[in-house]
Parts: sequence; structure tokens; C-alpha cells
Amino acid sequence: MKTQLIKWLTKIYPIAKRALKKFHGGVFPSYYKELSSRHTTLQTSLPKELILPLNQHIGAEDLPLVAMGDKVKKYQLIAAADLKNLHAPIHAPASGTITAIEYRQLPHTSGLTGLCIVITTDEQQVEQTNPLNFPAKKGDACQPNTPQALKDIVYQAGIVGMGGAGFPTFAKIPNVKGKIQTLIINGAECEPFITCDDVLMQQHASEVLSGAQIIAKALACPSIIAGIEDNKPLAIKAMKQAAHKFENIQIQPLLTIYPMGGEKQLIKELLNTEIPAGTHAIDSGILMMNVSTLRAIHQAINLGRPLISRLITVSGLGLDKPFNSEVLLGTPFEQLVEQAQPKSALNYPLIQGGPMMGFEVPNNQVPVIKTTNCILANPPQTTETTMPCIRCGECMDACPINLLPQQLYWYSRSHEFEKVEKLNLFDCIECGCCSFVCPSHIPLVQYYRFAKSEIKTAKIEQQKANLAQKRHENKLAREARLKAEKDARIKAKKEAIKQKALLKAANTDEDASAPTKIKKSPAVAAAEKAAAMRKKKLTQTSQYPIDTQTQTQTEEMSKKPALSAREKAIAAAKKRSTQTKSNVENSAEKRKRKAQTASNSPSVIETAEQKAIRRAAELAKNMKKKALAEKNRVEKQTNNAPEDHQLTTSQNTGTGTQDKSVIEKPIANKRAVAMQAAKERAAAMKAKKLAEALQTKNEKIE
Amino acid sequence: MLDAILIFLGLALLFGLLLGYAAIRFKVEGNPLTDIINKELPQTQCGQCGFPGCKPYAEALANGESEVNLCVPGGHEVMIKISEITHREPVEMADSTPAPTERIVAIIDEDVCIGCVHCIKACPVDAIVGATKLMHTVITDECTGCDLCAPVCPVDCIDMIPIAQTLQTWGWKEPITQVEQTSATSQDNSSSSDKPS
Repeated sequence: MKTQLIKWLTKIYPIAKRALKKFHGGVFPSYYKELSSRHTTLQTSLPKELILPLNQHIGAEDLPLVAMGDKVKKYQLIAAADLKNLHAPIHAPASGTITAIEYRQLPHTSGLTGLCIVITTDEQQVEQTNPLNFPAKKGDACQPNTPQALKDIVYQAGIVGMGGAGFPTFAKIPNVKGKIQTLIINGAECEPFITCDDVLMQQHASEVLSGAQIIAKALACPSIIAGIEDNKPLAIKAMKQAAHKFENIQIQPLLTIYPMGGEKQLIKELLNTEIPAGTHAIDSGILMMNVSTLRAIHQAINLGRPLISRLITVSGLGLDKPFNSEVLLGTPFEQLVEQAQPKSALNYPLIQGGPMMGFEVPNNQVPVIKTTNCILANPPQTTETTMPCIRCGECMDACPINLLPQQLYWYSRSHEFEKVEKLNLFDCIECGCCSFVCPSHIPLVQYYRFAKSEIKTAKIEQQKANLAQKRHENKLAREARLKAEKDARIKAKKEAIKQKALLKAANTDEDASAPTKIKKSPAVAAAEKAAAMRKKKLTQTSQYPIDTQTQTQTEEMSKKPALSAREKAIAAAKKRSTQTKSNVENSAEKRKRKAQTASNSPSVIETAEQKAIRRAAELAKNMKKKALAEKNRVEKQTNNAPEDHQLTTSQNTGTGTQDKSVIEKPIANKRAVAMQAAKERAAAMKAKKLAEALQTKNEKIE
Repeated sequence: MLDAILIFLGLALLFGLLLGYAAIRFKVEGNPLTDIINKELPQTQCGQCGFPGCKPYAEALANGESEVNLCVPGGHEVMIKISEITHREPVEMADSTPAPTERIVAIIDEDVCIGCVHCIKACPVDAIVGATKLMHTVITDECTGCDLCAPVCPVDCIDMIPIAQTLQTWGWKEPITQVEQTSATSQDNSSSSDKPS
């Protein structure tokens, strides 16, 4: 009822047809499909020269596996890339000789050149046997039962999406069985002029369906739907006939509207599901393949043939006899167009693809590649002058993705790319519906393409900048680390030299201090004896600190064992100096007890006691003195021992001053006292030097 | 009356303490402007601004110790961005030559290279590989085109070349239409008032 009403409405308002399909927008261009479809398919002659660009797909450029002058057989693998990168290998479409591997113009709107392998064909046309390296056993053995097996064969055959995108098909196929619920055969072919898929379905329907069947089997996909626009009745008929042989294939005629052949549009129309933005159809369990791709898969698996040719349409208003033909990849455009008898000389650029999404090629000699579905020869029309946007909103109604083309246009024009991105620019399929309906003839799609390119380059630049920053920081960190290591090394070396010098100085110092010992009074000598006993005890307890102190100089120590004993003595003295007080008390107590046991009379005891105390006090005083002197010397040594005679003199003065300070200050403050003394000494030295300098000055003056 | 004053004094004291604590606890290390400016700089680390790398220049800018127009590879656009971030008057670029639109990279003539490692030391991003008395080469993907290596080469074997465009790097140009160009000024006037929000 509703559809009938709309059909009636279309008589007075043709755009009302839009309501007959499920996706938004869409346009109704003039199709001109009868131009090419009314002529039978032609057999094109073998070109003299085949030009095979190394980048016929989305992804990395292939590397040539052949060299100049090599003879190649038909179906021979001639180029492939590292498996890490997304790519599809390329095979020789005909046998012949490699005459050049050089940069030639690519069938790309940029007009850039790319590396191409040029094959000069020969007459013999030798075929390579088993080009896909199938196992010797023929038949079912080659039928892939797992997704991986299917992917391997599809990769080896060099199959890419032949609807126009050129995405390597093996990368599109999921790795696991059962992930795909529906396989959609895309036979919509919604672009005007193009009829190659129509013809393919008419002539090779069973091959297309067989290809679909292989995929469905390998992926365990339960249902296959073929969507064909209703302006191809013959194709629908042929497909329906062929589908009788298979049980799970459904042929679905569709309303003729552009862009019905878009992936998301066709899915919406057939399954009424929308693919979320930023995801692929695979994520929703749907796999879509173009009819040409399916036929190529059939040829690869059932015939063992890699992708070397494809059906293309040669059409256009400038041609007398447009046609469809199975064309070898690498055939130059001009040769094909000449066969279609141009009405006038070909002095205008040809178009690859349809009038909606196609582009003018930079040079009519560019070759047919895997993604070429149509060559259009439309004589240049007077281009409509672009007028300012009148904000009519037609583009918004026409957009099949439901975007806001007018907003996108404004922001793209003013280079506000962040806002364009927020308006989902990257969901735009560049179908050209908005430009088609624009009453001001604004090239809207070109603005979107420009914005996309700018955003992409900005992102790449940002990535590069981040990388550069990271690398720079790493370099700085490395340099800092190396410098620190160098400094540490130098410091360690300096320290070692210092130690060496110190030891040397200490050695000479010991020799110098030996005679001073003789001068000491016998009482002191006795005290020293007692101290030596304690020293022995203490060295055991203070073993550890000595070790740490001497650890760095073990080598020198082993060379000079006498010195190590000396070091030990110094350490012991240090330790003792802190314990002197308690030691003194201890010794006093001991002597007291001794005296008590020695005599029984109280008076004697008393005198003995007094004597002992006096002696102890004397001893303590001596010990204090000695300890201080010792400590003083140790400090001197750490302060980078000067020359011998200086050391001894300063020591003498040191002990002199110390004598007073020791009596005055408690032992706990010894460190501070020593510090003070050192300072005083330093000041004295300074004063002395100054006096000396003055004296010499005076002398000079005199 | 006294109650109210006391309550508010107490509250003031409490919040003051809270703020004081927060100021210490959540103190931002360094100048946050530095990172914002550093993001805008092209990270070529070329040192043409007189600072050793982009970050030191960003730091100097954040502390207001430097002019905004010193980034040569960034050119006018970066200068405008910096002046906007730092709220300072934009200054015309000292070097009036426009920044090169093409990306350039260094390339070493490997036959001439003597392996002196001067360029390796000069490279701010470690994009040159090689060793003493062995041939050096540039990792093109990581070269920023800062041109620091070329002057230090004793045999002048380093050239700065523009990167060739490939299908991957090619991008669509902005469409230019005659009518729009002529009517651009009037349209801009009208569009500025009713620009879509």
C-alpha cells in the first residue's frame, strides 16, 4: 500500500523514490548503462607492452622479484613484499621479457609516478604450470576447509577487493570459523556507465556463486545473500538460475539508487543493520565481496589461476562502440579506448571509474590495474560555475551516511579541522551525492578529501614530532649518564692517587715520629705498655671499621704489611679516646681492689688507696695526652698531609695547644676542640705566612 | 554578634589552612605552560632558536625569558600559536623567508663519508648510525631535517634533500574556484555573522 502510494507520487515528485529504500539519502543520476551493455563483450588483442605498477592495492609497495631482461611465463609471480606489511603479490599476465623496471605514471589522480614492471609480450604465451603451488593431488584437496587455508590461497593469488577499494582480500577474511553470519555478494553496481559486473553475472554467474560457496564453507557461514539492483534484470535472472545449484544462496533485487553499492548502504538495505562508525562490517559478522572478487577466488581455488585479468567496461559519451572485455592487467588505457572507436581524437583525459567517484587520469597511457572497473571517455563538458552556498540543505537530504555536508563544507573551507573531525568527516564515503545535488555546483567532496588529507598529514606530523622528542630526550639522558659515569671514574681515580700520596706521607711520618718516642719519660712508657694491652683487646672489637677504612687500599696494604698494623693502631687509638674515661675508672677500681688485698691495716690501705688513685689519675692524664696527639695526627693525615717537616712542626704546636685545652674541656667535646684547634692552627699559619710575606716585603723595600 | 565573628573567623582559618595544605600537596611541578608550548613546537631539535632543543625554548618561553618568533622551522604559524598561549604580542619572524613547505631530510654520500662521527654527535635525535672510521648513514624516517649535521661534516658529504612524495604521503589539494575567490570577501562578511554553531 505504502510502496504503491510512493510509486504514484514519484510521477509528480521523482525524489520520493528515496522513501522506498532503507538507508538515508541517495540520488538518481542518469545511468547510460545501455551504452556498454548493449554491445557484446569483445576479445581484446594481446597488448605489446604490459605495465604493472607495484602498488595496485592498499598497503605497502611490492618489491620486484624479477630483473631486467628476465623471461617470464604467464602466471609467474613477479612481485611481492615482506609478509609483515599489508600487500598483495603480482603475477605476470602474459609471458614475455622484462624490458624495464622504472617509474611510470600511475592511474591515480595525483599524477605521481610509481615503480612499474614492464613486460614486452611474446607470441608463444608459455604458461607456468601450477602457479599457486598447489599440492600434486588435484580436486578436493585444494578446497580450503579452514579460514587460514583460504587466506593463504587468496593471498598467493594476489586477490584484492575489485569493486574499487583495492584492499587485499586475505586481510579482510577473519581468522576464525563462525565469525561471519552473512556473506553478501555485492552486485549492485550503482555507478552510471559501468556494466562490467552486470555482464560478469550474466556470463559467469555460476563462477561467482562458486566463489561465494568456497568462502562460506571455509568460514562456516550459514547464509549468502546477493544484492543486485533491479536495472540489471538479465543478471538477476542468470544469478537466480545458477543459485538453484546451491541451497543457501538468496538473490535479492534492489531498488536502483546511487549509492546502493556502498558497503554500509547495501548492508542496511539487505539486513537492516547499521555498521557503527569506526568499525568494519566484519565486526558485525558480515563479510561483503564484490562479484569480480568472488570470481577471482573461484579461479584461484578451482583453476589454480592467480589474478591476472579482469572484466572492465570501456564506455563514455565520446565512444562509438563502448564494450566490456576481459582485459589483462597492465594494458594501457588508450589501446582499449581506441578499440571502442572514439568519435573524436582522444585529446581529453580519460576517467578511471564511474562519473560519480571516478577521477581523471593524468595520462591516457596509464595501465589497467586490479581495481580498474571502468574507463570512461566523456568529452569535457562546460563546467558549471561554482556559486556561493545558499544553505538549501539539499546535500543533507542526499547524504547516504546522514552527515551534515554543509557544516563539513564550512569548516573545511575555514580550515577548522577539529570541528570537521567532530562532525564525523571520516565516515564520509566520498560518494559525491552532495556535490551531485548541489544547486551551486560546489565541489563539496573535494573539500572533504582535502580536509581528510590535512588531518591525516597533521596526525603523521604529530607522531613524527613525538618520536623526535622522545629520541631527543633519550639522547640527553644518555649524554647525562655518560658524563656522570666519566665524572665518577675521574673522581675515583683522584681518590686513589690521594690515598697513595697519603700512605706515602704516613710512611715517612712514622719514621719521623719514631725518635720522639725515645724522648718520652719512663712513666709514659709504662703507660704505653698498659695501653698496648688494651689496644690488643680493642683491635678485635674495632676490626670492622678498620676493614671498611682499608678496603679501598688493600693492594697497597698487601705490599706494605707494616703499614696495616699502623693503621690498626690509629683506629684503635681513635676508639680508645672515646672510651678513655671509663677505662681510667676501671683501672682505678682494679688498683683499689689490688691495694685492698695487698694490705690489711686501714692506714696502709688508705695510703695505698691514695697512691693508687694518684697513679691512676696520672696515667689517665698521660693517656689522654697521647690519645689526643694520636687523634691529631690522624686528622692531619686526612687533611692531605703536607711535607714532612711541616707536619712534625705543626704536630708539636698542636700538642702544645692541646695540653691546655684538654685540661679545660671535657672529653666529649674533643672533636669540637680538635676542630677549634685546627682552625686556630690554620689562622696561626696564615698569620705566620702573612708576617713572613710582610717581612720579605720589608726586606725588599729596604 | 561575637558568636558570628568567631564562627567566621574559625571558618576562615579552616579554609585558609585547607588551601594552604592543598597548595603544598597538589603543587604542580614545573611550569605547565612549558608542556603546552612544547607540544606546538615542531620538535626538529634544530637549535636555531638559540636553545639546545625544543623543550628548553619552551621553558624559556613559559618563563617569559625569550622572544616568541625564534622557531624557524615552525614559522609564522607556530609564532602565532606561541603568542596566543603566552598572551604576548606576536612578533614578525626575524627571518622573513617562509618556512619550507616540503619536509627535508639529510642524506649522506656514503662514498665520500670518512667516518669521523662528527655528524653522529651533532644529531639531536640519534638518527645517524655509524662508527669511527666506518661509513655513516641517516635513518630517513627519524631525521627531522634540522640541518645540524651538514655544517659539521669535514668533507661536506651531507645534503639536505626534500622527501619524494609517494601515494601514501600524497594528499588532496584544497579546491580553488574562481567565483568563490572573487566572492570570497563578501561571503566571508555574511558568513561571519551567521556561521553555523
